[in-house]
Amino acid sequence: MSARAEGFILTSSPHDSAADTTQRIMFAVVITLLPAMVMSVFYFGLRVLGLYVLAIASCLVTESLTRRARGRSPWSIADGSAVVTAVLLVMVLPPEISPIALVVGCVVAIFLGKEVFGGLGSNVFNPALVGRAFLSAAYPVQITTWTTPNRVFAFLPQGIDAQTQATPLAAARFEGIYEALPNLLFGQIGGSIGETGSIFIVAGGIAMLALRLIRWEMVVSLLGTVFVLTGIAHLVDPGSFVGPVFHLFAGGLMLGAVYMATDMVTTPYTRVGNVIFGVGAGTLVVIIRLFGGYPEGVMFAILLMNAVTPIINRYTDNRVFGAQSAKAGEGAQ
Amino acid sequence: MTLRTFKKGVHPHDHKTRTASLPVEDVPIPELLRIPVAQHLGKPAVPVKQRGDEVMPGELLCDADGFVSARVHSPVHGKIKKIVQQPLPAGRMSDHIEIAVNVEETQAHQWQRREVDLDALDRDTVVEGIRDAGIVGMGGATFPTHVKFSPPPTAEIDTLVINGVECEPYLTCDHRLMLERTAELLEAVRILNRGFGFKRILFGIESNKPDAIEAVSRAAAEFPDTPIEIVPLKVKYPQGAEKMLIYAACGRTVPAGKLPLEIGVIVANVFTLVAIEDWFFWGKPLIDRVITVSGDGIKSARNLRAPIGTPFEDLVEACGGFNGDVAKVLVGGPMMGVALPTLDYSLTKGSSGLLFLTRAEVPAESPCIRCARCVDACPMNLMPLKLAAYAEAQKFVEAKQHNLNDCFECGSCAYVCPSKIKLVAWIRYAKNYVRVHKL
Repeated sequence: MSARAEGFILTSSPHDSAADTTQRIMFAVVITLLPAMVMSVFYFGLRVLGLYVLAIASCLVTESLTRRARGRSPWSIADGSAVVTAVLLVMVLPPEISPIALVVGCVVAIFLGKEVFGGLGSNVFNPALVGRAFLSAAYPVQITTWTTPNRVFAFLPQGIDAQTQATPLAAARFEGIYEALPNLLFGQIGGSIGETGSIFIVAGGIAMLALRLIRWEMVVSLLGTVFVLTGIAHLVDPGSFVGPVFHLFAGGLMLGAVYMATDMVTTPYTRVGNVIFGVGAGTLVVIIRLFGGYPEGVMFAILLMNAVTPIINRYTDNRVFGAQSAKAGEGAQ
Repeated sequence: MTLRTFKKGVHPHDHKTRTASLPVEDVPIPELLRIPVAQHLGKPAVPVKQRGDEVMPGELLCDADGFVSARVHSPVHGKIKKIVQQPLPAGRMSDHIEIAVNVEETQAHQWQRREVDLDALDRDTVVEGIRDAGIVGMGGATFPTHVKFSPPPTAEIDTLVINGVECEPYLTCDHRLMLERTAELLEAVRILNRGFGFKRILFGIESNKPDAIEAVSRAAAEFPDTPIEIVPLKVKYPQGAEKMLIYAACGRTVPAGKLPLEIGVIVANVFTLVAIEDWFFWGKPLIDRVITVSGDGIKSARNLRAPIGTPFEDLVEACGGFNGDVAKVLVGGPMMGVALPTLDYSLTKGSSGLLFLTRAEVPAESPCIRCARCVDACPMNLMPLKLAAYAEAQKFVEAKQHNLNDCFECGSCAYVCPSKIKLVAWIRYAKNYVRVHKL
C-alpha cells in the first residue's frame, strides 16, 4: 500500500533543514556591502561601477573555466562566492587601478587563491587578499597611487588629501598630519575604493551580526586589540604615535575586521579560535602600522593569520558537554 | 517568568498546531496485531505463548530475557496465528507475534480500578511493578524503565526530572497526555516518590504549552506533601534529550559518557508516568500508546491511542488515508525519526509519531564552507564538521578521539548546515564502524 510507485524516499535523519544555504549566505554578504559600494561610486565616480562589473565578470569566468578544467560542474559559480571575492577585491584596490591590473588580480584571486586548493571551502587564504597581495607586487606604483574623492558631504571639513594625495595613514605616519575623524567616518579621504567610509562598513557589519553571518568575537577582539595597543603606544609617546580612535577608522582596518577576518572558510571554527585569530591579527596590524615599512598592515595581518588558522583549529576544539565534571568524577572514585 | 534552558541547540519549525488541540482518540480495534518481541533497548523478550494459544488483554506474551529487557503483553482478546520475522522501524529484524483479534470481546473488556495502599509501597515493590508492566522509556529511546529506576546502592538519587518537553516538531502526544491525564500523572509521581523519597521533583515543560503548564501546576498544588516544581522552559530543540533537560531543569551537568544516576538524577517521560499509573491503579500493563499521526500527506491528522502491534496501515485508515503524493514516511519526529520504505510495520512502545511528508526533496549538498554553524548548534559541544570529515576520510580512530560517541544524533548540526551536508549520517557511519570493529 504505497502512495507512490517508486516507494518512499529513504534518507537519514534529520528530515528537515534550515532555510539558509551557501548561496543565500553569499548574497546576503553582498547585500550588506551595498551601502559601502554605493558610496564608493559617489566618491570616486562611475568608473568604479565599471570596475565592480569587470571584477565580478572576471571572477565568474575564471571560476567557471577552472571548474570545467577540474572536471566539475561550472555552474557552481551560482553559489555567489566568486561575487563576494570580486566585490571585496575591488574595495581594497585604489580607484585608479587599471582594468588590466584588476583582471589579473581577479584571475589570481580565484585561481591561486581558491581553486588550486580545491575550490570553495578548501582554500587557506582569503582569495580577495591573495589577489590584492599579488597586485601589490606586480603593480607597485598603481597600487599606491591614491586619488582625492568627490566632496559628497559638503558639511564635512576639507580633507587633507587635496594637498597631499596620500592616505590618512600615510600622512600620519610619514608627515605627521592627522585627518579629522568625521572625514575618516564618512570616507571623504584618500584610500582604497571601499575602505574609506568606515561608517558604511560598520553599518554592513551590524547587519551581518544581526543576520548571524559573522561572529562578534572576531570583530571585537581584532578591533579591541588594535585600540588597546595603539592606545598604549599613544600614551607612551603621543608625539610619534597617533591615538587609537584614528587607527580604528583609518585605512582598511574596519573593512578587514568586518569582511575579511570574518570569512568563514579561512578563519577558525570556535569562539575561542576566533578570539585568538582576532588578537593575533590585531597585534600584527599594529606592529606593521607603527614599526613596519608600510603605513597599512591589515592585508598582511589577515593573510598571516589565515596561514595559522588550521593550527588554531587543531587546538581549540570545544570541550565536550560534561567534560570537566567527568574528570572530577574520575578523581573522586 | 524567567525561562530556563540548555546551551546551544536549534529552533526548527514546530508544525504542532495541527494536532495540539485534538483530543486523543481510540483507533478502531484492529483485526490483526503484529507485536514485536524486541521493542526496547536490550535483549529481545522471549515468547511464553505459542501458535494457537488464546490470549486476553494484559496477558503476558513474552517474558523479559535478563535484567536489561522488557516484558510484552497482549493488548487484546485473540488467538496467536503465527510468529513471523519482520523488520522493526529502526531496521533491525525481530520476531513478531501475530494475533487474530477477537474485536467484540476486546471491546467488551473493562479494566477495573484497584485500591492501592501507597504507604505499603517501597522502592522494591515500585520497581517490580514497573518491570511487571513492561514499561520502557516512551520518549523514543525505549530503555527499560525498571533498569533506570534501579540505581546501584552507592548512587544517591535525590532528584526526579519529568520530561514534558516534547521538542520534536509535529509530535503532540505528550502534550495531550499532560492535558488529558494530568491526575494520573500526578498519581504516578506519588508512587515513584514513595519508592525513592526525592528531594526535588522537577517537571520540565516548554513554554509553547502554556495550557499544560497550567494544568500540571493546578494538579500538583493538590499534593503539597510531594516536592514537585513545574519548570517552564524556553522553546528549543533538543531540550527533551536527557542531558539537556537535566541541565535546563536543575543546572546539573551529566559527565560525558556517564548516566544521570551519577549526579543523583532520574528522568522519566510523561508517557512513562501514565503507564506506571495504569499498572498500579488498574493492573493494566503497557499495551497501548498514543501516537501523533500528522504531516501534509495525511488527510486528517490525529492523536491516536492504538494497541501495541497495530499495523501502520490501520493508523493511516483511521486518519482518512493519504492526502496527495506522499514522498516520505517517518516514524518518530523529523529530527530523529526514521524514514520507512513501506508501511509494513507496526506500532511499538517507542513510536511517538507517524508522519507523512509530501515535500521531501533531498537538498543538494555543496562543499563545507567552515561556517561552523554546526559547532554552534551542537548541544554536546562537539565539532560535527570535524567528525564528518574524519568519517569521510575513514579516520575512525581520530573521530573517536574527538568524542564521537558523545553524539546522540539529535540532528541539530545537519539541520543548520547551509551546505546541507549529511553530518549525522557520517557520524552514525563512524559510530557503527567504531562499534563493529571495537576501535
